[in-house]
Amino acid sequence: MDRFKLRKAEPQDVPDILRLIKELAKYEEMEDQVILTEKDLLEDGFGDHPFYHCVVAEVPSEQQNSNNNGSVVIGFAMYYFTYDPWIGKLLYLEDFFVMKEYRGFGIGSEILKLLSLVSNTAVKTRCSSMHFIVAEGNQASIEFYKRRGAADLSLEEGWRLFKIDKSSLLKMSSGPEE
Amino acid sequence: MFNRWEDLCNVISLRPLLPAVGLPTPVLPTWCLILYFLDIFHNMDFSIRPATLEDCKDIARMLLELAEYEKVLDQIKVTQKDLEQDGFIKNPFFHGIVAEVPEEHRSKEGHTKVGYALYFYSYSSWKGRAVYMEDLYVMPEFRGKGIGKALMSKVAQLGLAAGCSLLNFSVLDWNKPSLDFYLSQGCSDITADMGYHCMRCEGDELEKLAQGGT
Repeated sequence: MDRFKLRKAEPQDVPDILRLIKELAKYEEMEDQVILTEKDLLEDGFGDHPFYHCVVAEVPSEQQNSNNNGSVVIGFAMYYFTYDPWIGKLLYLEDFFVMKEYRGFGIGSEILKLLSLVSNTAVKTRCSSMHFIVAEGNQASIEFYKRRGAADLSLEEGWRLFKIDKSSLLKMSSGPEE
Repeated sequence: MFNRWEDLCNVISLRPLLPAVGLPTPVLPTWCLILYFLDIFHNMDFSIRPATLEDCKDIARMLLELAEYEKVLDQIKVTQKDLEQDGFIKNPFFHGIVAEVPEEHRSKEGHTKVGYALYFYSYSSWKGRAVYMEDLYVMPEFRGKGIGKALMSKVAQLGLAAGCSLLNFSVLDWNKPSLDFYLSQGCSDITADMGYHCMRCEGDELEKLAQGGT
C-alpha cells in the first residue's frame, strides 16, 4: 500500500466523512448514536467559521465508489482547536479512523504525523498538546496510542469526562438565577 | 462578609424597634443577626456577563486559585497576556463569562469578580455542534449562593443559542463536591458509564509523533 494520499477534506468529501463516522461508531458499538447528517457536516465544517477540520486519506480506486478523480476515501481524522487555560492552545482529535481492510499499512501513523505537524508548526495554532478520548475496551487503539507516547489522563491524573445532553441543557439553561 | 462591622452596627441600631415587635429585648439582637445573615446568603446580588479584555487579570488570578485547589499549580504556563491574546482576537480560542458582585459584597481582598467560566465550541461526530466547559470556578467565600449554577446555566444558554446539543467538561475523580454538584444537575459521567478515557500527547511525544516516530 504505497499509493495513498492525505489531503485536507473538501465539501464534496462530506458523504464519505459521514460514511466513515458511522463505520467508526459501528466499531465502537454506538452506531445508533450518530444523528449528524450530511447537511450538518457541510454547514459546520465548510462555512465561514468551521466547528471542525478534517483530513482524509484516499487511495486510487480499482472499482466501485470512486470520487471524481478516480480515488476512494478510506480514512479520516476530524479535529478542532481547544484551550486549556493552564497550558494554552490544544488540538483535539475528535475522530480518527482507517477502514479495516486498509489498516497495517502505516496510513494511521501518517495521519497522526500530519496532525502533529499541524499542531506543532502552524504559526497561528502552535499547540502544546493533542488530546482525544479512547474507550477503555478498545485495547488495540490504546496500545497504538501508548506506543506513540500518549498518556491516559483518566488513569494517571483521575480526570473523568462528563456530558450533559440536550434535554438537561434546556432544563439547566432555563433554571432560575439565584 | 463577616468583616463588615458597619453592617452589624446597622443591625444593632434596630434595637430601639424591639419592644414594638413584642419580643424580649435581650433575645432579639441574636435572632435579628441570624435572620440578617441568612438574608445576605439568600439574596446576595450578583451578575453574570461576558468577559472583557480587562477581566483577564482577574481570570488569571482565579485560574491560579483553581489550579491550586486541583493541586496542579506547577503545571500552569498560561499568563494574563496569553489569555488576552488567545481570547480576544477575531477568532478566539475560548470564550469567558464572569460573575460579579456589588462593591459592598466584595471579597476579603477587595475583589468584585468572584467567579468565571471558560468555554469553547467543539464538535461531536455523532451529535454535531457541542460546547466544552473548560473551567468553572467560584471563590470559596462566595460558594453556596447559586453563582456556580448560574454560570453553568449561562454556558448552557449560550451553547444552545449557538446550535449546540451537548455540553462536555471534565472533573477530577477525587473532587467529590464538584462530582456531586454536576450529577445533581443531570450530568452523566461518561468515563464511568461508557469507559471513555481522556488521553494526551504533548511536548517531546508530540514532537516525536510529528517526525513519524513509533
